[in-house]
Amino acid sequence: MQPTTRREFLVKSSAAGLSFLAVPSWLRAADAPQPAGTPAGAGPLDMTIARWAGGEVPADLATRLTEQAVATLGGMSRFVSRGSTVWVKPNIGWNRKPEFAANTHPDVVAAVVRMCFDAGAKSVKVGDFPCNEPKACYENSGIAPAAKAVGADIVYLDQRRFRKMAIGGNRLKDHPVYPDIVECDLVINVPVCKHHGGSRVTLCMKNYMGVVDDRRTFHQDLPTTIADITQFMKPRLCILDATRILTDHGPTGGKIEDVKTLNTVAAGVDIVALDAFGSELLGKDPRQIETVTKGAEYGLGRVDYRSLALKELSLS
Amino acid sequence: MKRRNRSPVTRVRRCVQLAVLALFVGLLLATRPVPGAAPSAWFGLFAYLDPLILATTALAAHAVPALLLLAFVTVAVTIVLGRVFCGWFCPLGTVHALTSRIADAFSNKPRRDTWSRWQLGKYVILAAVLVMCVFGVQWLTLLDPFAILYRTTTTALWPAAQQAVEEGAYAVYQADPHVGSWHLTSWTEPPYQLLRDHVFVVPAQAFLGGGLILAFFLITVALNFVRRRFWCRYLCPLGGLLGVLSWRPWLRRKVEASTCNGCNLCGMTCHGAAATHPATGWKPQECFGCMNCTPSCPTKGIGFELVKPWSRRDGEEPLDLSRRHVLASGAAGIAGVVLLGSAPQARGRTYNPDLIRPPGSLAESDFLARCIGCGACMKICPTGGLQPAALEAGLAGLWTPRLVMALGYCDHECNRCGQVCPTHAIAALPLAEKKQTRIGLAAFDFNRCIPYAYGRNCMVCEEHCPVPDKAIYFRPAEVTDRNGNTQTIQQPRVDAARCTGCGICQNVCPFKDRPAIRVTSANESRHPENQPILASPDYGAYG
Repeated sequence: MQPTTRREFLVKSSAAGLSFLAVPSWLRAADAPQPAGTPAGAGPLDMTIARWAGGEVPADLATRLTEQAVATLGGMSRFVSRGSTVWVKPNIGWNRKPEFAANTHPDVVAAVVRMCFDAGAKSVKVGDFPCNEPKACYENSGIAPAAKAVGADIVYLDQRRFRKMAIGGNRLKDHPVYPDIVECDLVINVPVCKHHGGSRVTLCMKNYMGVVDDRRTFHQDLPTTIADITQFMKPRLCILDATRILTDHGPTGGKIEDVKTLNTVAAGVDIVALDAFGSELLGKDPRQIETVTKGAEYGLGRVDYRSLALKELSLS
Repeated sequence: MKRRNRSPVTRVRRCVQLAVLALFVGLLLATRPVPGAAPSAWFGLFAYLDPLILATTALAAHAVPALLLLAFVTVAVTIVLGRVFCGWFCPLGTVHALTSRIADAFSNKPRRDTWSRWQLGKYVILAAVLVMCVFGVQWLTLLDPFAILYRTTTTALWPAAQQAVEEGAYAVYQADPHVGSWHLTSWTEPPYQLLRDHVFVVPAQAFLGGGLILAFFLITVALNFVRRRFWCRYLCPLGGLLGVLSWRPWLRRKVEASTCNGCNLCGMTCHGAAATHPATGWKPQECFGCMNCTPSCPTKGIGFELVKPWSRRDGEEPLDLSRRHVLASGAAGIAGVVLLGSAPQARGRTYNPDLIRPPGSLAESDFLARCIGCGACMKICPTGGLQPAALEAGLAGLWTPRLVMALGYCDHECNRCGQVCPTHAIAALPLAEKKQTRIGLAAFDFNRCIPYAYGRNCMVCEEHCPVPDKAIYFRPAEVTDRNGNTQTIQQPRVDAARCTGCGICQNVCPFKDRPAIRVTSANESRHPENQPILASPDYGAYG
């Protein structure tokens, strides 16, 4: 082992000290909802997109895409601190098999859970508030068995245990939210990319509807209520599953002809940017999607995701 | 005088009875929706072993579901050993035996337990039931022991236990008592979650009219204070059927007449009141084979022995139904047919819009000929939507299943109700076929539906519609508000060619009081006469 010179020691220790200081800085950034974007080329990445370059698709592709997207974004340790409790929030809305793209791909969820543990998380909880019978959704989506296999706690949301919280939104003032989710150190939003009859697309922002109760009136003004909830939840990391997407008859689907395989996973800190990207995958102009524009209006992120510190990866 | 019976045979019998009761509860517990798993055929074991259900299904519906043939095991056992089914096996009989013991404790003098002529009542009821079935009217709902116990447990006792668990765990969770860093919830939450995940799997499951079902059950139990095992001795038509089968059982009671002092201690311990005065008289068709008489005899003069079935011995008194009884049964049966079978609904002339039967249900008259109202379908419904009917299906359809959208809906991916129905009143449809089966038709109430009546988007119904290419679709419409502002909104419509009537739209409608989209029984697959929409695959839907 080489002896360390005084200069090297000073450089290394000050770098370590600075990186320690850097942690509260992004915590503060998350406290105040503001565009997380920084100009391209400066600082850490805002968004990564991992695609399969083509050729024979390996069985663990969804896992590899997820891992690469997150690793390039700075790795899970950028978001998960040692000993923390993480809530992974997939879309488990419907009693459908994985191939119908109505729920997040189980491999994507499992990969996220594993990365959280690798980054030192104490416990990782996986849960959603499904629209169909919860146990059937959890099991048939493949998410509960896959997440359990890698050590996650599978949590069923108890309707009685939602607690009214001050949302402070334009539509939602006091609304029941699931306390266990809010009390976690980090919520990772892991939606699937889908068509939706009302909001036209359902992506990262709309996925937060799974943390609240009493949502049947939301549909009278989905963009505002979704933006209210998103603002309240202070998104820090979103991972958009576009391994296969549902292009029509969403959000429930059920027709295999409506499913399109894209072999893509995107990760990022800017929820509006990810939703804009997802809208494009679904063949829509994000500037025409009201939830996306409302999110930008709220200052939750940028519609023009290409102006962010973005890296596109091609896996093969 | 307190009598303690500690003979080995009595102890064995009690153990067997409790074990069978535990098996009954175990099978009931197992009858729950487990994702990805089909319910086992064993869940209906007690119904299959019930020859009364076999007889009524065969007579009323002219059908014999294969598993019901297991009832011949009971028939064979009864022919050889007499009514040991009642004394050793029947779980409702065990409930009555236990409550009779409690009633004994409240009585300060020995209760009369010799045979009464009123015990012929169950044969009259049995004959009336069978006469009704010959005319196609089956009504075991109030009469079959399996149906009574299963339904009461499912719709009243089980939900009560569930409520106690849910409310208890919730109260602790809300109050969160703790000492330092130790929280009481660390003790209460794990067992609560275990029960929630494996026992009480449908959250807050409860049943409309469960109180009435419980009241009926409690009345039959309370009758044990009048006479021990009142239901089994006087009313149970299954007991009557088994009594007829034990006309000349191989196993008979033997009394040593030379030593009998006529103390009647044997009669006072007899479950079935099979002994007549003087004590040496015995009615084989009333004997449950409980064997309480053997140890009770102070002179050790009573025993059981196998005899030739055709032999007839002193003191044995066969079933003696008079001509008057037979005529009374026939008249009661005909009255039952008129009472239950002549309603317009039972004859297929009216259709109750609120009577949504589970998918695979037979046409109403065939359905009623088979359904015994046991409640197995309600127990396994994963959404808790299947509920016991009050009078929606007429008196004949009391406590038969109907889907109540305020409480649940028909899960698109589920076909369990048909798989657990012991009499196939609900056909066991393969899932693909069930998805094509219509149980009703959704219709918008344009006076309430938000995009029509209040001029703003809603779409919750469309979002939840599980039909792969959506039975609810949108048409854009221009609306002008009171200030003259014009805006385009999406107005939903129902495609009758695709709607299966599952009812999730009604279940999730923002209107909780009277939903703005409601499912009625129109278009149900089981009634071609109740289908107002001309079926045509290339017919473009309205709008």
